[in-house]
Amino acid sequence: MSRYRLHVNGERRVVDVPGDTPLLWALREQLGVLGPKYGCGVGACGACTSLVDGRAARPCVTAVADVAGRQVTTIEGLSADGDHPVQRAWLELDVAQCGYCQPGQIMSTVALLSRDPDPDDAAIDAALRDNVCRCGTYSRIRAAVRRAARLARGER
Amino acid sequence: MITRRGFLGGALVVSAPLVVPGLAAAAGPAELAPTVFVRLDGRGRITATVPRPDAGQGVRTVVALLVAEELVVDLADVRVEQAPGDTARYGSQVASGSRSARQLTEPMRTAAATARCLLVAAAAARWGVPVEECEARGGSVHHRDRRLPYGALVRDAAALDPASVPVALVPPQRWRLLGKTRAGRVDARDVVTGRARYGIDTRPRGALVAVVLRPPWIGARAGSVDDAAARAVPGVVAVVPLEPDAAGQGGVAVIARSTPEALRGREALRVTWHGGTPAADSRRWLDELEAALPAPAAAPGPVAFEATYRLPLLAHAPMEPMNATAHLTATGLAVWAPVQDPGGLRTELARRTGLAEADVRVETALSGGAFGRRLDTDVVLEAVACSRAAGAPVSVQWTRDDDMRHDSYRPMSVHRLSAVVDGSGLPTWRAHAVATWPLTIAPQIPPEIIKLSGDQFRYTVPGPVDLAVLPAPIRTGFWRSVYAGHFQYAEELFLGALGQRSGVDQVDLRRRLLPPGSRLRRALDAAVERAGATPPGALRGVACHEDFGSVCAVVADRAGGRVRRVVAAVDVGQVLHPSGVRAQVEGGVMDAVSTVFGAQITVRDGRVVQSSFRDYAWLRIDRAPEVDVVLVPSDAPVGGLGELAFPPAAAALAVGSGHELTGMPLGVEIG
Repeated sequence: MSRYRLHVNGERRVVDVPGDTPLLWALREQLGVLGPKYGCGVGACGACTSLVDGRAARPCVTAVADVAGRQVTTIEGLSADGDHPVQRAWLELDVAQCGYCQPGQIMSTVALLSRDPDPDDAAIDAALRDNVCRCGTYSRIRAAVRRAARLARGER
Repeated sequence: MITRRGFLGGALVVSAPLVVPGLAAAAGPAELAPTVFVRLDGRGRITATVPRPDAGQGVRTVVALLVAEELVVDLADVRVEQAPGDTARYGSQVASGSRSARQLTEPMRTAAATARCLLVAAAAARWGVPVEECEARGGSVHHRDRRLPYGALVRDAAALDPASVPVALVPPQRWRLLGKTRAGRVDARDVVTGRARYGIDTRPRGALVAVVLRPPWIGARAGSVDDAAARAVPGVVAVVPLEPDAAGQGGVAVIARSTPEALRGREALRVTWHGGTPAADSRRWLDELEAALPAPAAAPGPVAFEATYRLPLLAHAPMEPMNATAHLTATGLAVWAPVQDPGGLRTELARRTGLAEADVRVETALSGGAFGRRLDTDVVLEAVACSRAAGAPVSVQWTRDDDMRHDSYRPMSVHRLSAVVDGSGLPTWRAHAVATWPLTIAPQIPPEIIKLSGDQFRYTVPGPVDLAVLPAPIRTGFWRSVYAGHFQYAEELFLGALGQRSGVDQVDLRRRLLPPGSRLRRALDAAVERAGATPPGALRGVACHEDFGSVCAVVADRAGGRVRRVVAAVDVGQVLHPSGVRAQVEGGVMDAVSTVFGAQITVRDGRVVQSSFRDYAWLRIDRAPEVDVVLVPSDAPVGGLGELAFPPAAAALAVGSGHELTGMPLGVEIG
């Protein structure tokens, strides 16, 4: 058992866990950050996708020891009320069905748009192909990514 | 509930709605609750109680819309509350059979309309004017230039005898929201901000976490358990054997303070296993089913065409793996779980624990997908057993591997179809022989009920459906569309193959065989019109399906090795939530792409091979087609929807795939 200092959604947090504990369980069970979802535990579904230093990461296969001192942003850290461009696009297009995968889909999209503000279909596919949606919202996700790109550029 | 109805002044009039005894009394805090589904507090705030679980099918949104429509307020003015399991209070609470919207539309409308009519009557009495001169809208009752907000009328309205006030529903031609709204789901903002709370997010104070070491092959039972190393893992609290059936699927539970500690404990557990079927192989199961096919029916002429289709095991694999939280004490049981039938679960738990139903509380959480999987109660029984052993609330968490390998799978089936055809290549008779398994989690469903899915064939082609039901060698359950996804998929595959063989166009074939003027024929025409001409170089598949009082016709175009565009025209009766209707059809189409082009569960050496989305080849965004949903205008009553699109979408994709039609999935070994 060790003590790790984390930066989660702009706040300093401390967890007491073995260093190889997956970040996902530290977030969910130690810190009560429940937005990142457990879907597979092996980095194969993307439901927990969050940002580590601004890049998409899979907290279910990321050890707590590896993120000490780094900036972790979960879905809760995007905005207070859902007014981030990606969230607004998701609301406009009514993307979610069960919604369980959507925090991960949204965070993968945030990471994509931060490095490619105008992604084409191939870039969207590459960024999101490891985020599984079991309800089948993919066509709305694709439309929402494009919409979010426009909103982020300040277009209507 | 409704004793009299008729058209009066253009409004559907009902009276004597279900009244909750006592709630209409004027004593206590002001509240107007004409039925258990709708209530207004003294400030006029409206709460709709949703009796059935929402697993993404959108029933919470539908209920909020129904209530907002009848109370003439905005959607945002209705707060939605999820009902706990209590069938005596709420009636059936099962989310299955594409029934939720169909069965809730009338009670929800009646409840809210009753509240509105009582509020109007109370206002009319306050002003001393005729009821007919008053109008409810925007949260107030209006009379000429004066108005009273609902909140100011709640106490008076609650004191009225509901039976004395005629209740008029808002007629569909005056709907503002239902069928028209562009609004999204009521939970959408919670989802995109991470605030939505699912079963997995429920953790009562002091709750422990359990994970279960599960049988390594089908039917294996735990023998000796060496738990010394597991108990030595920091955080592990207890190791508990789980008896199959009484406590779910059986295995050995490791209970700990947190999930990673429980997982470490499970890794350290040493168990010997015995019994079961360590040699089971799903390819052999298909051979056994094929060998058991009923003998061919006597044909009225020479059989011109025959085909055999094999369908695989399928896992539900909802994004939220199975989980449940239970707290069993000497005096009662509380359960928090994402389930599809909280009312039925409560009854089952009372029976199994010997507690009175009144002492069993089942709180329904949002489900991260269900697709039929959460009609199985196995995980809840595990949680109850773990709580009993630990003397504390326990959350049982399945890993993805557990979820994939210990599902109640969609049964395998084998279909053999044969046809007599006329000079133009059209079938004049067809026979359909089926061999499949029952649903082991629903043993009350007999073969005669399974066979009903064979009677949904709507084409004017007579002929028998014969069914053989073999004992299931693995746990089986309800999977979206259930047996219609076997029977009608096979029928459409056969029609498509017959058309290809005879050189008859897929659309012409169906137009000539569907009853003229039928809803299906209209839906087919609508789908074909929207789809337009087949793009150059594309392959086109077509299929139709009728179920749950709804119809669906699908046109699928494939080019360059992948499905490009799918048009699905649906007549689902009165549309309540347009975006939600489209979403359910889109979902059925994506399930079809997944299962026709690769996803299947296989069993080798007694064990399910697939363990995650790495090897259960579910669709990803890069292969997802564009889906165009056409809502065919309809005056039919609200129809079922959630399970409508999968069978025809799968068949259309398969027929237009260019692959040899072997069953499902195509292009790979089945089973």
